[in-house]
Amino acid sequence: MAGGIGLEALPAPAWLGEAGLARCRRALHSKLARETWKYSPLEKIAQALLEAPRTRQAPFADAPEQVRTRRFSALSTPPELKINLDRYPLAGIAAALAGDGWLAEVTETPRCPLRLAPAPPGVAPPMLLQVAAGCRVEIEEMNAARTPSSPDQKDPLAAQVVLLILERGAEVHWSRAGLAPAATGWFLLAARLGGDASLTFNHQSLAAAFQRLDLCVALHGAGASFRSTGAALAGTGAQLDLQYVIEHIGRRTLSRVQQHCLASGKARCTFNGRIHIHPQAAGADADLSNRNLALSANAEINTKPELEIYNDEVRCAHGATVGRLDDDALFYLQSRGLPAAQAQRLLSIGFLRAGLSGPFAEQAADSFVEQLSAAAGGG
Amino acid sequence: MSLLQVDDLHVSVGGEAILKGLSLRVEAGEVHALMGPNGSGKSTLANVLAGRPGYEVTGGAISFKGLPLAQQEPEARAQAGLFLAFQYPVEIPGVSNMEFLKAAQDSHFKANGTAPESPVAFMRRVRTLAESLSLNPEFLKRGVNEGFSGGEKKRNEILQMLLLEPALAVLDETDSGLDIDAMQTVAAGVNRFRNPDNGVLLITHYQRLLNHIVPDFVHVLAEGRIVESGDSKLAETLEERGYAWLAESG
Repeated sequence: MAGGIGLEALPAPAWLGEAGLARCRRALHSKLARETWKYSPLEKIAQALLEAPRTRQAPFADAPEQVRTRRFSALSTPPELKINLDRYPLAGIAAALAGDGWLAEVTETPRCPLRLAPAPPGVAPPMLLQVAAGCRVEIEEMNAARTPSSPDQKDPLAAQVVLLILERGAEVHWSRAGLAPAATGWFLLAARLGGDASLTFNHQSLAAAFQRLDLCVALHGAGASFRSTGAALAGTGAQLDLQYVIEHIGRRTLSRVQQHCLASGKARCTFNGRIHIHPQAAGADADLSNRNLALSANAEINTKPELEIYNDEVRCAHGATVGRLDDDALFYLQSRGLPAAQAQRLLSIGFLRAGLSGPFAEQAADSFVEQLSAAAGGG
Repeated sequence: MSLLQVDDLHVSVGGEAILKGLSLRVEAGEVHALMGPNGSGKSTLANVLAGRPGYEVTGGAISFKGLPLAQQEPEARAQAGLFLAFQYPVEIPGVSNMEFLKAAQDSHFKANGTAPESPVAFMRRVRTLAESLSLNPEFLKRGVNEGFSGGEKKRNEILQMLLLEPALAVLDETDSGLDIDAMQTVAAGVNRFRNPDNGVLLITHYQRLLNHIVPDFVHVLAEGRIVESGDSKLAETLEERGYAWLAESG
């Protein structure tokens, strides 16, 4: 059990405090955490966190002057990281393991995209990224395939927690590509948006191991908006777990989520999309769609859209589908001379492309094609 | 050796007999029109020729360029030169028309031992073909048939036929859903395609398409077999008298 392997001895970071860390320890066994981590082995991940190395690298490679980056330990008062620790107890534990964290403040619109440094295996320091009112930021994060440390040894878990604060009218476009299928990782992005702020999050995942993404977006200010598109290809060995929580708190808030997942071989692919519309969120407009394709009978797909609505003046739609390749489309391509395997690949990539956008879309599409070709034995 | 030879073909779909002894020969250089009322088995023949799953050949034989078709996969039939223009072309979002066409041509070239055409030459040729069919070349960037009107889908089928240059083109109700201008465009494409080395099997309900594509032979399919054959005048008779007189005279 994670509780008996050193968690008790962890020193609490200042922002969390001993009480906060104790709460995280308890929450590991809570009903909410069990439900939130139903398809990911929470205690095993906690164990992996304890065994993983700590990394200390700065979050951005070549940060422009419009971004001020400081360690938490260099601040006169510890920052406040508002993360739901009952839902994400690992966030507190990861932060305690990392010891320190980074505060990155964007005070003016940077002239170029911010490039997140590729996450090395291990527990990264938590980051609080604050984007000042009216600033526009593009964030690019690419984790491409890397050479494993040893052919027989799996890399340790890469874990990172980011809290993103968007002040009034701020605009963030975040593009994330995880194209290292053998990498194991857990990434939590918790975002709080002020009035008329907007966050766009595009991500592409190529998974053949455990990978989990928690996205928790709180639309606090009136007119705040969140848009996300994603495409994920999960192959044999993959335990891909995508967990979205979108809180509509302010009036006239908007969210659009479109996630496409393709599971092949013996992959397990999970998507949980929860939309919570608070009582004061009149005029909220939410639309969440998750489309899944299973290429093999052994692939497992779990999809669970959740709605919780406490206001009548809202528009809310969600949908989830699980299917196979369309037989008519397959025959159409074959009737033009394409061998069945090639036709399947073309349809698969066509399906995934609907979830691709942002600067890494083409590179991700190429990686998907390569992976699908390799899985089919080339050709 | 006939381009296509169908002998006493029996086909069932879902356990129901649809074709009940159909025989037909198409030689190179010939255009055959196959007409008949709804449910007579016209589209079944088209699908069986192309190798669509779910169509069970329970008797008879089909040979294409002298080789039996029965055990061949759809792609092998296509690569051998058999083309089916679909009655209802499929939409494939996420796969651009250009990408699809290149993949189709490359598969043909590979099967026939021909070096692939350079992408630049290929794109130029496809654009020219599209313009000749009054199909906006911008459509080539869109998903296959995605958001195309009925007429655009049918013109896209003809574009594929002209690009792949099959030995035998089977056009399954290509005229359905077309306005007069689109039908003339499609017909012009088919007339451009026909030559002494290839054949066309034109499946249609109506004589109107045959005003623009004059067939060498017209066949009437009823109850799963060909009940009447003749030249292009037979189509005019059918237009005047319908299909009922065949049952009365038969």
